[in-house]
Amino acid sequence: MSIVPKETIEVIAQSIGIANLSSDVALALAPDVEYRLREIMQEAIKCMRHSKRTVLTAEDVNSALSLRNVEPIYGFASGDPLRFKRAVGHKDLFYIDDRDVDFKEVIDAPLPKAPLDTAVVAHWLAIEGVQPAIPENTQVEAIVAPSENKKSENSKEDGLLVDLKLPVKHVLSRELQLYFDKITELTVTRPESILFKEALVSLAADSGIHPLVPYFSYFIADEVARSLNDLPILFALMRVVRSLLQNPHIHIEPYLHQLMPSIITCVVAKRLGSKITDNHWELRDFSANLAASVCKRYGHVYHNLQSRLTKTLINAFLDPSKALTQHYGAIEGLAALGTSVVRLLVLPNLEPYLQLLEPEMQLEKQKNEMKRKEAWRVYGALLRAAGKCLYDRLKLFPGLLSPPRHPVWRINERVATSQSNKRMSSTNLSMQQPPLKKVAADGPTGALQPIAMTANLQGAPDGFTARSSGTGVGQPSTSGQVPMKTTGGRQEKGGGSVAPKGSAVLAQAWKEDLDAGHLLASLFQSFGEGVFSFIQPVEMSFFI
Amino acid sequence: MEEEEIQKAVVAYLRKKGFTNTELALQEEQNRVSFSSNSDHSVSRLENGPVRYSDGYSKLRLWAYSSLDLYKHELLRVLFPVYIHCFMDLVAGGHVHEARIFFHTFREDHESMHLRDLQKLEGILSPLHLEEIELSRSFRQNKFKIKMCEYSYDLLLQYLQKTQSFTMRGVINEHIDFEVSPGQPTLSSGDADFVTIEGRKNDLARQINQKEIHWGLLEDSLEQHLERPVSDSEKAEILIPVNSLIQKRPLDGGKQGIPVKMVKKDKLVSMVGKNVRSETSAVSVAPRVKPELTLPATLVEVEQAILEDLRSRVQLNNLALPSISFYTFINTCNRLNCSSISQDGSLVAGGFSDSSLKVVWDISTIGQLVKTSSLQGEKESAKNENFPATEERRKPYTLFHGHSGPVYSTTFSPFGEFLLSSSSDSTIRLWSTKLNTNLVCYKGHNYPVWDVQFSPVGHYFASSSHDRTARIWSMERIQPLRIMAGHLSDVDCVQWHANCNYIATGSSDKTVRLWDVQSGECVRIFIGHRSMILSLAMSPDGRYMASGDEDGTIMMWDLSSGRCVSPLVGHSSCVWTLAFSCEGTLLASGSADCTVKLWDVTASTRASRMESKSSSSNRLRLLKALPTKSTPVYTLQFSRRNLLFAAGALSKCS
Repeated sequence: MSIVPKETIEVIAQSIGIANLSSDVALALAPDVEYRLREIMQEAIKCMRHSKRTVLTAEDVNSALSLRNVEPIYGFASGDPLRFKRAVGHKDLFYIDDRDVDFKEVIDAPLPKAPLDTAVVAHWLAIEGVQPAIPENTQVEAIVAPSENKKSENSKEDGLLVDLKLPVKHVLSRELQLYFDKITELTVTRPESILFKEALVSLAADSGIHPLVPYFSYFIADEVARSLNDLPILFALMRVVRSLLQNPHIHIEPYLHQLMPSIITCVVAKRLGSKITDNHWELRDFSANLAASVCKRYGHVYHNLQSRLTKTLINAFLDPSKALTQHYGAIEGLAALGTSVVRLLVLPNLEPYLQLLEPEMQLEKQKNEMKRKEAWRVYGALLRAAGKCLYDRLKLFPGLLSPPRHPVWRINERVATSQSNKRMSSTNLSMQQPPLKKVAADGPTGALQPIAMTANLQGAPDGFTARSSGTGVGQPSTSGQVPMKTTGGRQEKGGGSVAPKGSAVLAQAWKEDLDAGHLLASLFQSFGEGVFSFIQPVEMSFFI
Repeated sequence: MEEEEIQKAVVAYLRKKGFTNTELALQEEQNRVSFSSNSDHSVSRLENGPVRYSDGYSKLRLWAYSSLDLYKHELLRVLFPVYIHCFMDLVAGGHVHEARIFFHTFREDHESMHLRDLQKLEGILSPLHLEEIELSRSFRQNKFKIKMCEYSYDLLLQYLQKTQSFTMRGVINEHIDFEVSPGQPTLSSGDADFVTIEGRKNDLARQINQKEIHWGLLEDSLEQHLERPVSDSEKAEILIPVNSLIQKRPLDGGKQGIPVKMVKKDKLVSMVGKNVRSETSAVSVAPRVKPELTLPATLVEVEQAILEDLRSRVQLNNLALPSISFYTFINTCNRLNCSSISQDGSLVAGGFSDSSLKVVWDISTIGQLVKTSSLQGEKESAKNENFPATEERRKPYTLFHGHSGPVYSTTFSPFGEFLLSSSSDSTIRLWSTKLNTNLVCYKGHNYPVWDVQFSPVGHYFASSSHDRTARIWSMERIQPLRIMAGHLSDVDCVQWHANCNYIATGSSDKTVRLWDVQSGECVRIFIGHRSMILSLAMSPDGRYMASGDEDGTIMMWDLSSGRCVSPLVGHSSCVWTLAFSCEGTLLASGSADCTVKLWDVTASTRASRMESKSSSSNRLRLLKALPTKSTPVYTLQFSRRNLLFAAGALSKCS
């Protein structure tokens, strides 16, 4: 009758020393035991509720017992929930696993870490009824399914049962809308202001702007397509992209497909900006780095991201019908993807490409000065890419260029210098020719550049300016400053003098060394001593 | 035959007129007559006594279930009281074993609606227990009240006549009051609200609820002072707390904030205008009352501060929802029992089961914590587990030791200079937040003090305890001023009325009572909850009261009529806390299901007046559900500027 059988009562009686409990007494006691148990549990539940919990603990039972003036049961109180074990062979009999603990073990055990102290943290659960998307809040489904009646309305309208995909409603708080409006307005109207810089910082750090990402990506795509002629805006947009990419609280992956075309546009577009004086090169470099950083960060998520990007770029690079500006962008883009990409994709095509490029660069063959400048730019980019690749290789094998050979190199250099100088004077360019010694003097600083460049690969904008101005080869305005690439005897001579040296050294080197040596040789063949600026500064110092 | 018919007519007449006692007397007499007429028959009936209950009940049940669909749900309502009383009759008759069998046979039928009652009754195993258990006593002493339509009632009568089952008839006569309504049966099927305990208790409740109460606000309150300045040009000063948040974001300096402010201000002004109008119409109904207690004088500067707050209050309604600042207690190891937040949100106190009390001080330290935590947001893994308290700073809280048992409730005085805590050691302690020390220990309760609440003006406070009483205290006396006794079980929560003349108490006996502070009398009993009451809140206009229970139901009561305005259903677990917004348009509720819900008060009260579409409007009233990150909400507090503060302990099951 009672859930406590009388046998249990008898057993308990025996355990406390009452041997001969009559069965009548046990029978009478059993219901009362059950009743008292229930009573205690009822009080324990009250205690649990007042402790604002929904799980009953041993402590609650103890406080219920003390409420009833009963001695609490000691030994079960603990912060953790009790671990019950099911008794073998019984369906609903549980016991607490109470294993023997070796005292020595307890003493020898290292002290446990002090528990963390209670603290209070505050956050906004809601701002004017809208939950901000911050890590402290749960993820809310911001996208609300369209209401039913709307659907029926639509189907009524066209009379056909077409499965229409209605635009999903996205709930945005007023603050976010304001924020978005402000940022977009700043981007379009005042990209130079300090305010815009602040905005970029905010975009890169704010944790609550995730709901705005689709709007931003749409805005960027839209704006890039529209203002291809407006360089400052394009630049500002790319900066916004960079800030968004930097923001650690944003999941930008779903929107990359919308952003990437815009970025690539800014790398390989035929024309960016409206004026001739616009420095669209800078934008191309910047965007190229951006694209590369995207590949680096999300390449593991989108496996075809990099392959698609490189395909686009290499197509632009290898298509002779494309403008030189596009070639420049493609090269920069490929270079930004890393030296191995350059080695695998650019260098094999280097020689034929240079042959194409060469006529564009020469005053005699290309009368349009703009075109010529562009060609020089492309050349510079190629040199930089190749040089970086070379530098990278050489860095692996510092033993390749050892001091004993330096005199030779120096001589070589000098020869080259005098020769090119001579050549330049003979070509009698209208432009003022800085003495080539300056290039030589620039050598060490130029050589430092690759290091800076690799550091700047992540896309720091300030690194960009340093790069373009630092490398001697890259100077656009004074094309004569760069030692002109000649197909004449000088180069053959230079190449000839290096190659044997190289092979002499490489005789004791590994296969990779050989590769690097070949690389150097071939590059030198292509570029002349402009390549030298990419060789490590220690060695470089011997040249002067 | 004729005699029998006459008898039937008499019985029917008596029933119709509601002369239940006469009817009973008549029946008893009849029984006696029939016993005496054939004694051997009565002997046999006594012998199979226990069986007739289960037989009768199972027949009745079968009949009710196979009755006409239209009337079924009304007839089924009869089953529960009959079941309960059959069981108790069996127990009382000493047939414990049979009672248990009977109980378990039919238990399933009623589990869905009356689980808690069944759990309590299950333990009854002897006539003695019947006396001891509160619930059974109240069942025995009171009558169930069942509403049904005329035809259902006829059906039932016919059945009882036809089957000649005297046992069932006796039980029904004795313990059920029928409220027969003409016309069609009520539509809402399966609603247990129609089965309420009637009888003495309810008569008492009805009697009590007829007493007059003055729920108007106090004369000369600060709100009145406000009316003037708001209409002045000073409203241009309106500042919104949220603004500060927006400005905190490193956007573009101050520029960002200005347009927001402008927009809001314009909106606010219009809203203020609207609200004043609506308020005056409502206020004209409620007469201002004089305080029954001598109220402490408020300092001038405090008054100024309050006025300032009132002036810059954000107006909330079903369109303008509040901002919620959430204080999460972390690393509490499930030891946090209660928390409270001061009016201005600058102080947060937590009462722990290790009998300590931790008061977190200035908001600025919390602000710094926010910063560090947001920085940590980058490190996803470390984020939830342990925000390291702070780096090499002093402890961000003050520890108050003094209690010798779990602290069950804390409350700040209206201006934050005092803190009260109640504990299972049956004491209440007063702490000074200025001196960081214990000032007074109030001993008076005999059992754990579940709840303590400062009055809206300070100085007085009310406490409620396991000893089934609520008590009113003043800070300067160590003895209680009033003891409110009357609840049939623990008094779990207590709340002051806005005009300080009444207190409301919620109890484990599933009722809420309203007490007059001056006389100590119970002036209202609110019956309707189906489980223990855990939280109470009074609307600022003094007209309504909200109560939340263990099941997650919130009920809104009209104090003057004592009726439930509307049940607000939405929470799936205990409602730990309730709070009205300052102008009474919104109700916020915090629950163990880790949500804060915002309810539209104006809609729910209006709907009741129309008395229609109860199910469809139910959904409309819930304005917003804001889930937290596995943090049950322990406390909600609207500041005077209508910023909502919430607190809870992060309970991550690791």
